[in-house]
Amino acid sequence: MSDLAIDIRNVVKRYDEHLAVNDLSLAVPRGSVYGLLGPNGAGKTTTIRMLLNIIVPDSGTITLLGSPHRTKGLTDRIGYLPEERGLYKKMQVRRVLRFLAELKGVPAREAERRIDEWLRRLDLKTPERDWGLAKVDELSRGMQQKAQFIGTLVHDPDLVILDEPFSGLDPINAQALKDAIVELKSRGKTIIFSTHLMDNAERLCDSVCIIARGRKVLDGGVAEVRKAHSGRMVALAVEGDSRAGLASVLGDRTLVARVDDHNRYYEVELAGGADAQQLLRRVIDTGVAIQRFELVLPSLHQIFLERVGARGVEEGMTGHG
Amino acid sequence: MGKLIVVFKREYLERVRSRWFIIGTLLGPAFLLLIVGAPKLMGDRSDGSRDVAHIDLLDATKDGLGERVANALRARYPLSRAPYLRTVDPSQLPIEEDRSVLRVQRDEVLGALVLDSTTLTGDSVRYAGRNAGSHRDLDAIRNVVRNTVLSDQMTRAGIDPKRVEAFSHIRLDMHVRKIGDKGLETGNPIAVILLGYGVALMLYMMIVVYGQAIMRSVLEEKSTRVAEVVVSSVNTDTLLAGKILGVGLVAISQVVSWIVLSAAALIYFPQIMRGGGGGMADSTDAANGALSSAAGGASAAAALVATGLPSVPVWAAVALFLCFILGFIFYASLFAAVGSMVNSQEDVQQAATPVMLLLVSSAVFMGPIMANPTSNLAKTISMLPTSAPIIMPLRMTLVPVPWFEVVGSLAGVAAACAASIWLSGRIYRVGLLMYGKKPTIRELAKWVKEAR
Repeated sequence: MSDLAIDIRNVVKRYDEHLAVNDLSLAVPRGSVYGLLGPNGAGKTTTIRMLLNIIVPDSGTITLLGSPHRTKGLTDRIGYLPEERGLYKKMQVRRVLRFLAELKGVPAREAERRIDEWLRRLDLKTPERDWGLAKVDELSRGMQQKAQFIGTLVHDPDLVILDEPFSGLDPINAQALKDAIVELKSRGKTIIFSTHLMDNAERLCDSVCIIARGRKVLDGGVAEVRKAHSGRMVALAVEGDSRAGLASVLGDRTLVARVDDHNRYYEVELAGGADAQQLLRRVIDTGVAIQRFELVLPSLHQIFLERVGARGVEEGMTGHG
Repeated sequence: MGKLIVVFKREYLERVRSRWFIIGTLLGPAFLLLIVGAPKLMGDRSDGSRDVAHIDLLDATKDGLGERVANALRARYPLSRAPYLRTVDPSQLPIEEDRSVLRVQRDEVLGALVLDSTTLTGDSVRYAGRNAGSHRDLDAIRNVVRNTVLSDQMTRAGIDPKRVEAFSHIRLDMHVRKIGDKGLETGNPIAVILLGYGVALMLYMMIVVYGQAIMRSVLEEKSTRVAEVVVSSVNTDTLLAGKILGVGLVAISQVVSWIVLSAAALIYFPQIMRGGGGGMADSTDAANGALSSAAGGASAAAALVATGLPSVPVWAAVALFLCFILGFIFYASLFAAVGSMVNSQEDVQQAATPVMLLLVSSAVFMGPIMANPTSNLAKTISMLPTSAPIIMPLRMTLVPVPWFEVVGSLAGVAAACAASIWLSGRIYRVGLLMYGKKPTIRELAKWVKEAR
C-alpha cells in the first residue's frame, strides 16, 4: 500500500488558450494535513476537480489512496466540500444528508444513525429543536454551513478535500471546522484544503504546496519550507527617530529586495547575492542604535509574497482557480 | 446501478411527496368529472334550450303555415313558453325582422323564425337567435318546420290527415359504429375521438409539465451549487439518467392515479348524477319533457366512458406506452440540457423556446389530424420523430395504422432519443459546472465536442 494519499504526476489541463494547470506534480502523505495555496486563478479548484474526477486532465496521472483516480468506487472514500456551497433548498435537512450519504454508498439505516450523531454534535439537534426535520432554506446561513459540513463527512471518508473551507464561515463555525480537521487527522485521515489565507495554513498544515498560474512554485513540509527560506529574512528594530539614515540602506536594491516597514520595526528580505553581515555593517555605519537584528524564519505569508509576488495575485484570473 | 437508484429515489420521492403532486392528482379526476358532468348538471342548456319554442314566428307565407308551425311547436315542447306569431306582408318583412332582433336583444324572446314562400316549397327557412350555436335547438326547430311543411304537402296530395299526423311523429335515432380492420368495432365513435384526443393531449401535457420539471430541477442543482457536491459522488450520466427516470415515473404515477381515481369516480358517478338530477327536477318547474333523461343522460355518459371505449389491443397499448416513454426521454433530455446551459430563471424560459416550439408544433397538428386522420399530412407528422410521440397515438386511436408504420415511427423516435441523450449528456456534463453568461451556439458546439 502506497503511503501517499494523493500522487499527482505531470498533470496538465488546458481551457482554450488558457493553461489552467501546467505540469503539476504533487505528493500528499497519508494522514497529513495538506495546504494547497495560491492566489485566485492559480488552478486550485481545477486541480481539486480533477482529483474528484469531475473534470479529466488532458495528460498526466492521478493516484488516490493507492489507486488510479478513476477507479470505480474510489470517490466513495472521499469527502468534498466545494468552495461554492449549497444544498437542495426545499428538501428536509435529514433527507438531503441521507441522500448524500447514500450516494457515497452508506446504507440508509447506518446513514440515519450517523446523521443523528452529527446533528447533535454540531448543535443542530437539541432537546428544544431538531433542525434535521426543517427544510434547508429554513436554516440560518451558519446552520446551512454546518449541514453541508456533515454532508462532507457523513460517510467517514479517508480523504477529505476542502476547497476554501474557511471562506464565509463565521468565527464559531471556523473554530468547529478547525477542530474537526485536527480530529480527522488524529484518526489517520488525510485532509487537503485549498486556501489563500496563509495564517490558517501555517497553523494547520503539515505540508503545503504553493501554486501560481497553474504551476507549482514550491512544496514540502511547512517547517522545511520555512527553513529553506531562512537566512533571507532579517528582523530589524532600531531606537529613536532614525528613518532618514536607514532609508538609503534599505533602499539599496543590491542589498535589500523588500522591506515591510512597521515604522520602528522592519522585516527585511535580503536581495539575491547579499548577505546579512553586509546589511548589519551598513546599518551600523548609519549610526542608528540597533535594538534587534535577527535572522528569522519567514512566515508562509512572506514566502508566498516572495515567491509568487504581489504581481501574481493581481494577475490572477477571477472565478474558480 | 446503486447510485442510479439513489438519484432516482430522491427525484421520485421528493416530487411525489410534494403538495403540488397531491393537488394535481386529486384535481385531475375532479376536472374530468366536471367535463363529463357539467353539461348534464346544467341540464338541457347545452343539449338544447328548455325554452326552445319561445320565439317570434314571422309568417310571410299568406298560407297560415305560421299558425300550424306554432301549434306544432306548442305540442312538441309543452313545457316551453309559447311562440309569438306575427302574420306579416312580405314587403314588411325586413322591418318586422328588425323588430324581432330588438326583441331578442331585450331577451323578450329567444330568437326569430321567418317563414316565407320558399318555406312553403320546402326549400328554406330563416332563423336568428341567441341559441344559433346550439345544434340541438336548431335541429328541433328545423324538424318542426320540416314536419309541418311535409304534412301540409301530404295533405294537399290527398293523404288522410290522420295518417299524416302519424308519419310526422317518426323519431329516428341514428346509432353509429366504426368499422376497423377486424370488422365492426364495439364502442361509440365519439368516445373514440375523445379517447384519441385525450391520449394525445395527456402525452403532450405530461411531456411539457414534467419535461420542464426536469429543466427546473437541473437549474436548481446548478444555481444552489449542490451540483458540485453531487457530481463529486456520481457521474453526470448517472445523475441525468436517474433524474429522467425518476421524474418520468412521477408522470406515470400521476396518470395511473388519475385513471384509477377517475374510474372510481365514474363508477360512483351515476349515483351522484341521479341524486343531483332528481333534485333539479323538483326545484325547476320549467323542466320540460326531456327531464327524465337527465339521470339517464348521466348514466349514459358513464356508460359511454365505461363501456363505450373501444377495446384497445395489447400491442397498441404497448406502442402507446413506448410512445410516451421514448417521447418523454427525448424531450426530457433536451430540457435537461437547456437547464444546464443557463444560470437563472429569467434565462431559462428563453433558452427553452426551441424545445417548446418543437413540442407546440406537434400539438398544433392535433386538430387537422383529428379532422382527417388518413391524410398524407397525418402520416408525415406521425412519422416525424419530434411529433410522433404525440401524433402517432392520436392517429392510432382514430384509424387503423399499419404495424410497420407504428414500428417505423417508434424506431425513429428511439433513434432521435439516442441522439438527444448523447447530445444532452455532453451539454449537461459541461454546463452543470459552468457559471457565467449564457453560451452561444458556437460555445455549445464546443462543449459537445470537448466533453469527455
